[in-house]
Amino acid sequence: MQYTRPLAELRRADEARFGGKSASLGELLAAGIPVPPGFALSTSAMRAPVHDEIAARYAELSESVREPSPAVAVRSSAVGEDSADATFAGQLESYLWVRGVDEICVAVRDCWASLNSVRAQAYREHLGAEHEAATGVTIQLMVDAAVSGVMFTCNPVSGDPSMVAINASWGLGLAVVGGEVTPDDYLVSKVTREVVRERISTKDVEYRPAADGRGTERTEVPPDRANVRCLDEQALTRLVELARQVERHFGCHQDIEWAIRRSDRELFVLQSRPVTSLPERPPKAPASALSLVMSQFGVPPHASD
Amino acid sequence: MASATPAIGAFPSPYSIETPPGCEGWEEMYPYYAIFDERRRQTDENRFWFWNSMHFPVPMPAFDVLCIDSPYQAVGSWQNRVFAVPPAMGIDYRIVNGYVYISGNPVTDPEKIAERAGFFQKRAGYYFENWSELYDNWRVKMEALIAELEELRVPDLPEYEPDEVAFGDERNTAFYEVLDAYGRVVRLGDLMWQHHFEFLLLGYGAYATFVEFCKGNLPDIPDQHIAQMVAGIDVLLFRPDAELRRLARLAIESGVDSAFIEGRSPEEIEAELSQSDPGRGWLRELGEVKDPWFNMATGDGLYHYYRSWLDDPSIPYAALIGHIGALRAGEQIERPTEEIQRERDRLAEEYGALLDEHSRQTFGELLGLSRSVFPYVEEHKFFCDYWFLTRWWNKVREFGALLADHGFLEDGEDVFQLSRHEVSCALDELVLTWATGGQPLGPKHWPDIVARRKHILERLGEWTPPPALGVTPDAVTDPMTIMLWGVTTERVQEWARQQEGGKELAGAAASPGVIEGVARVVRSVNEVADIREGEILVCGSTSPAWAPIFSKIKATVTDVGGVMSHAAIVCREYGLPAVVGTGRATAQIRTGQTIRVDGTAGVVTLLDGRDG
Repeated sequence: MQYTRPLAELRRADEARFGGKSASLGELLAAGIPVPPGFALSTSAMRAPVHDEIAARYAELSESVREPSPAVAVRSSAVGEDSADATFAGQLESYLWVRGVDEICVAVRDCWASLNSVRAQAYREHLGAEHEAATGVTIQLMVDAAVSGVMFTCNPVSGDPSMVAINASWGLGLAVVGGEVTPDDYLVSKVTREVVRERISTKDVEYRPAADGRGTERTEVPPDRANVRCLDEQALTRLVELARQVERHFGCHQDIEWAIRRSDRELFVLQSRPVTSLPERPPKAPASALSLVMSQFGVPPHASD
Repeated sequence: MASATPAIGAFPSPYSIETPPGCEGWEEMYPYYAIFDERRRQTDENRFWFWNSMHFPVPMPAFDVLCIDSPYQAVGSWQNRVFAVPPAMGIDYRIVNGYVYISGNPVTDPEKIAERAGFFQKRAGYYFENWSELYDNWRVKMEALIAELEELRVPDLPEYEPDEVAFGDERNTAFYEVLDAYGRVVRLGDLMWQHHFEFLLLGYGAYATFVEFCKGNLPDIPDQHIAQMVAGIDVLLFRPDAELRRLARLAIESGVDSAFIEGRSPEEIEAELSQSDPGRGWLRELGEVKDPWFNMATGDGLYHYYRSWLDDPSIPYAALIGHIGALRAGEQIERPTEEIQRERDRLAEEYGALLDEHSRQTFGELLGLSRSVFPYVEEHKFFCDYWFLTRWWNKVREFGALLADHGFLEDGEDVFQLSRHEVSCALDELVLTWATGGQPLGPKHWPDIVARRKHILERLGEWTPPPALGVTPDAVTDPMTIMLWGVTTERVQEWARQQEGGKELAGAAASPGVIEGVARVVRSVNEVADIREGEILVCGSTSPAWAPIFSKIKATVTDVGGVMSHAAIVCREYGLPAVVGTGRATAQIRTGQTIRVDGTAGVVTLLDGRDG
């Protein structure tokens, strides 16, 4: 099979052929981080007959989870910057709870189509007309999330690297990512796992898989559940451990989408991207401990050399 | 004092404070310079004064004023005249209705600051570089001072001087010996306070620098993690209680634990123990431990009524009974030092690893410096505030007994109702009339004064002092005020808001956890015994000598103190939520009121409507 590969076989170096998202999920899987299994289409699949390959990969996936027609997410996996990946794949071309080979193929074609239209426009404006748009596609098993959200491996507001900042809400991640609810907000110490700050909010909307198992539906959350904290201490601890693992693997701060599966409370990483916008710290001149102590006592800076 | 001047900003003018009924004339207990006097109203009214409830939570008895004068003489000397801390001279104090208010003297002239910086860098630098050696010397100095105090004998006044006075040059007459001994007791007290402050500012400063560095680089780090990384493992202050835990285990091992029954007095327990060999063996072991470890005070040591465990063994015995009960219940009572050490090193390593390379190096240096200064910061309390001071008060008591023997006082304890100068004056008359054989006036003079002052102090104790007086500062910049008292700009603004009387008190988040319960407001050490199981302790500040009560309470709230205050340290040890430095918890909360203590956020909420 020349156009598809299981996500678990991909590494960072495969980004050029399979796009950022697929490569990064492969990296996570290789690091032993729980990621829903799936497969990737390369950029060259765009002009190739891939129906049979997709069918074969989908069969493998189906077999591995022992489910006849498992629901998958179909997302584009753009080549290039992660930020570009985020912009396009995150907002424009996600097809959730897709079941069966034919539907997957439709979703894949839609990915390509929407990429082309948007990219063509973007490139015309910014880069000139030489470039031909290309994208890979990620096809990944859906997680029926009881709770989901995003987390940063630092506090994105203060820049504190010893904290994990977690946003969480009921159901699928759409509500949080799309900004439809104010999620619970937790700040947890990486060092001791203590919850340093938390704000429990009213989470009155959630997304669940549609009744027929295809697509999603938006439902109201009854008030008695809307105001309940959606992560307990144990779940927070697992998230922090996962955040540390992901951060260690990539060697820089990460913005991680995660979900807790309804059936067995298993925790999954759905996506991880580098954090690009951290608060600017004023550059500090190298200071010895003693000169800092001196300034504590009000010794003027120029006098403390 | 009773003239009605409107409040300036949020805080009342120091000249607007009314004297509570029945307390008229309270000023006579204090030196003329300690009063808000009309002659310097112009300056005093335009300064910011805050109630030093950390050190002086209750009205000052006249003699105890030495423990205001001497510390501020000493702290000012080191800060202003020895180290010349660039922006801050010393601290002024005033007394209002018996309560002590303080205010720092800033240096604002940039040229002066630069000049002082030169001194400071050289002198403080020397201390930081030679800290361990200087501190070792300090301990020797302190132990010698304590020995000198213990050797000092208060002479009696015999009918006839012994032969040695008549036939030799070695001995002086008793009039001189009494006056000399009294003078030396006072001077030794001054000397202790000098030693007390030699390292304190620098120690706190090094620690505060580390705290700020951590907060700059790790903005959300909980204060208690910083404290945990620095705190000593083998801390002298924990030793007395550790010895009690050991003695509790020994009592069980030698089969004498049945003597320790709740409600028995120390004498009753000791009487039973002395009837058996193993009991006598235990008492011998106790005897070994007592010196020096029972020189703990029952409070922070600045008042004469904070006695030591030696004077009042009911506190250590109550703790022994508690420890024995816990051991019988199969609990591990020893402080888990290895675990604490492991956690301390783990925190330091993990936080260090989160920093970039350059910051990590500074972090390591500052942590190292903080750890090397920290033994002093904790241990000076044992040497100075507890060991020396409780023995020193006892020396003063001996002069009280002498005066009482001769009818100048009804009770030796009344000596503390006179200022140190008045005691000197009374002794002058005593030795004069002893020498002349004349009729002393003292017995007709002093007892009335004592009786009046006791009454006034009792009434003043019922008055609630405002947290601050005078002008609300735009910003608190004095490094000492911030470091030693935790009085920051935010804290003062919070106090000002609370003058309006809110339902919430904000302080420093000193020990994490949230709990609701019934408040017990403790204004003096004498009220510690009233605390009941499961109450929330609300007090000015606590002392580690209160350790036994921490196993009874659910949480702690204090008026003054930062995350390194003893209340904070002990609460973290015991896993109790604590909010410290609220400014006016003892004023705003009433005993019996239900409150919520959020030690994670640093907020106390008054839950029923009975706020002050």
